[in-house]
Amino acid sequence: MTANPTVAHPPAEESAMPDRGLHSPGMRDLGPAEMRRFRTAERRFLDAVEGAGYLEIRTPTIEPLHLYTAAGTLSPQALERVYSFLDWDGWSGERVVLRPDATVAAARWYADAVRAGGASTARVAYVAPVYRFAAEGDREVWQCGVELFGAPAAEGDRELLTLAAGFLRGLGARDVAVDLAHAGLVRATFAAAGLSPAQQVEAYDLMLEGDAGVTERLAQAHPEQATGLRLLAGVDGHSAGYIQNLRAALLATVPAAAGPLDDLAGAAAALDAAGVPYRVLAATARNFEYYSGVTFRFRQGADAEARTLIGGGRYDGLTRTLGGASAPACGWGGDLLRLAEVAS
Amino acid sequence: MSAAARPVRVAVPRGDLRTPVGERLAAASFRAPGYLEGSRTYRFDVEGVEGVQVRVFSDQDIPIQVALGQYDLGIASGTWIDELLVRYRHDSVVPLRPLDIAGETLVVAGEPGASLARLAEAGVVRVATEYPQIAHHYLTRLRVPDYRLYEVWAQAEAWPPRDAELAIAPASAVAKEGLAVLGTVHRGGVWLIANREALATRDLSAALGPLLSLPRATAEGGLVDPPPLAATRGTSRPAPSRERFRIAVPDGHAQRHTVAALADAGIAFPGYEASSSVRYPESDDPEVEVKVMRPQDMPRAVALGHFDLAISGRDWLRAFLATFPSAPVVELCDLRRSKYQMGAVISEDLPVGSIEEAIALWRRDDPQRPIRVASEYASLADEYARTRHLGRYRVIPISGASEGFVPEDAEILIEGTETGTTLRANRLRMIDVIMESTNCVIGHAAAPDGARGARRAEYVARLRAAAEAVA
Repeated sequence: MTANPTVAHPPAEESAMPDRGLHSPGMRDLGPAEMRRFRTAERRFLDAVEGAGYLEIRTPTIEPLHLYTAAGTLSPQALERVYSFLDWDGWSGERVVLRPDATVAAARWYADAVRAGGASTARVAYVAPVYRFAAEGDREVWQCGVELFGAPAAEGDRELLTLAAGFLRGLGARDVAVDLAHAGLVRATFAAAGLSPAQQVEAYDLMLEGDAGVTERLAQAHPEQATGLRLLAGVDGHSAGYIQNLRAALLATVPAAAGPLDDLAGAAAALDAAGVPYRVLAATARNFEYYSGVTFRFRQGADAEARTLIGGGRYDGLTRTLGGASAPACGWGGDLLRLAEVAS
Repeated sequence: MSAAARPVRVAVPRGDLRTPVGERLAAASFRAPGYLEGSRTYRFDVEGVEGVQVRVFSDQDIPIQVALGQYDLGIASGTWIDELLVRYRHDSVVPLRPLDIAGETLVVAGEPGASLARLAEAGVVRVATEYPQIAHHYLTRLRVPDYRLYEVWAQAEAWPPRDAELAIAPASAVAKEGLAVLGTVHRGGVWLIANREALATRDLSAALGPLLSLPRATAEGGLVDPPPLAATRGTSRPAPSRERFRIAVPDGHAQRHTVAALADAGIAFPGYEASSSVRYPESDDPEVEVKVMRPQDMPRAVALGHFDLAISGRDWLRAFLATFPSAPVVELCDLRRSKYQMGAVISEDLPVGSIEEAIALWRRDDPQRPIRVASEYASLADEYARTRHLGRYRVIPISGASEGFVPEDAEILIEGTETGTTLRANRLRMIDVIMESTNCVIGHAAAPDGARGARRAEYVARLRAAAEAVA
């Protein structure tokens, strides 16, 4: 059975619908004051990214579901929360979905643009709502974000981290720090420990949930990699020195970690240059199978009260997964209403 | 009646599960006289137990009734429970106990020799199923890059290999159709379930006590999470081309009328007689292929281009077009048989002369009261509620035992009736006629070219002439 006793349940009523007024659950109005703050934050976002050469695009609210179902896009758990349905052409069996993620939509746009003869390097920005079921909280989230297609990895990561730091500074956000990780580093380490791709996803999720047991179980099963696993999962690094320590602990048994560690070092150097404090974690992003390289989140506040302002990372395989030409790619996005709240 | 004062309501299945459930209920001293014996009544009291009412539903309707809070407890197949919960996890159904009653296992099946990995790699995979939510869950976990779900009313196993690559259907049906099982999708089982709010707020013990003493299953069944395939997105599978003319003819209630209509037109399909159940009857024309299928699924199959002609009902065509107005399927000829009226049915006891008066009466004390519209034709019920400006309404999709819904479980039933006898027997009456339905010939909006187009025109002309002659 699939019933989830941990989520909030609307009260059942005898022959009556739950009374939610005229609101659909998870949806909210923005009054004049909120819209003014929203537009201010949106303007600052567009000014910041357009100044860096990013051009605004808009993708449709409704996309084919199959964009999101292939391996390497959204996880099955994320797919369970999308708004998918049969539209008027649904007799063909094809479902559509309210855009659950802006990056996949932008990557689809890029694949189409290149196919139509567009440039292989593209810097794009968007402001658009995404829709995901949530038992509590918003089900419609207005996202702003940027995507960089076709630029080499080290250069692209550095550019995006610098751009995000500059945007948040311009917005007036204070007490901002960054969590850095590398999807390829964790995968390489898990793969070297003999985990299948499905087991890697499961272990990754457990690690994100703070389950220290998963690392310990793996370390005991694979003593030759125990030091590297414990260092990766058990110690949060705060400097380039930590990345050097990972290099020393991992490379002998996980040679595939060399590239990811170079990427992490480059990202850390970019944040050092931007004057933004950071820590290096094992993982930062869940439910997005497309991440292949450095992932990051800009957070505000200390651990318990921290809230994510911007999240993103590298996803080099996504355009190919969607049937387009292979291209290096990275991007970030944030909840525009949350960003409006922190704007000074 | 307040929720606290009303009886504890228990939903139990009809069909194949009626006998095993009835036997176990009787053994647990929870005997509803008439239920096990197959009485046509929908509601039963429980012998020696005060304040408990038992109502019979189609198996697949029970989880919805319990989720809505219309029934406090229910016994239903695990497949239908998960078909609801896998999509609506936040819903108010609590699985209480797996019962030691065999429930059907769902499998994914294709033609012998097929492989899930090869199909997924080769392009779009077409999957027919009655369980779209479970199928979606399974296929996303299998990581099939691109698939199309054909949500059929019944007999999904009849679609592969010509009309779909795969079917997700009960194992026994798949075996009967000669398909190869490629994986297990759901392990079946039968469960006692409860409405969460009722459990939290009401004393259900008069029913819950005996029901929780029903023998427990040793295994819980449930959804299967398959290991992911390593398939990447393939190129588009080329649309199969065909030379032969394909015609679909119905089984079930419409079969007798269709056999007669074909005979009047001088068309013979040996093997398709009033009482036969051959999937592919013969044709004296080697260029014609005949397939027997459910009339409900014909409009989709025709729109998809799988058939050049189909003999269905106008009700099913209209229900399909109410959901998909742009689907390329049209009525080509009225066969004027199997005539009945489809309309809005209400309780005979309501002192009203029109649906507007009925709405006013229902909302006399509560202007915001939602009107519940139950129907096997959910899209027509929705269309009716919209066009008659019902305001706040709720469509309750049902799959049978429909006459038992009004007035307790719905205010309006959208239903068909030939003579009105069954309605009257259940103290119901039709207050609004939506349409008159007969069986009819349907085809793709764009006639096929060449010999298939000529054959289509010839069949339609013969069937039309015969129908006009009979009328």
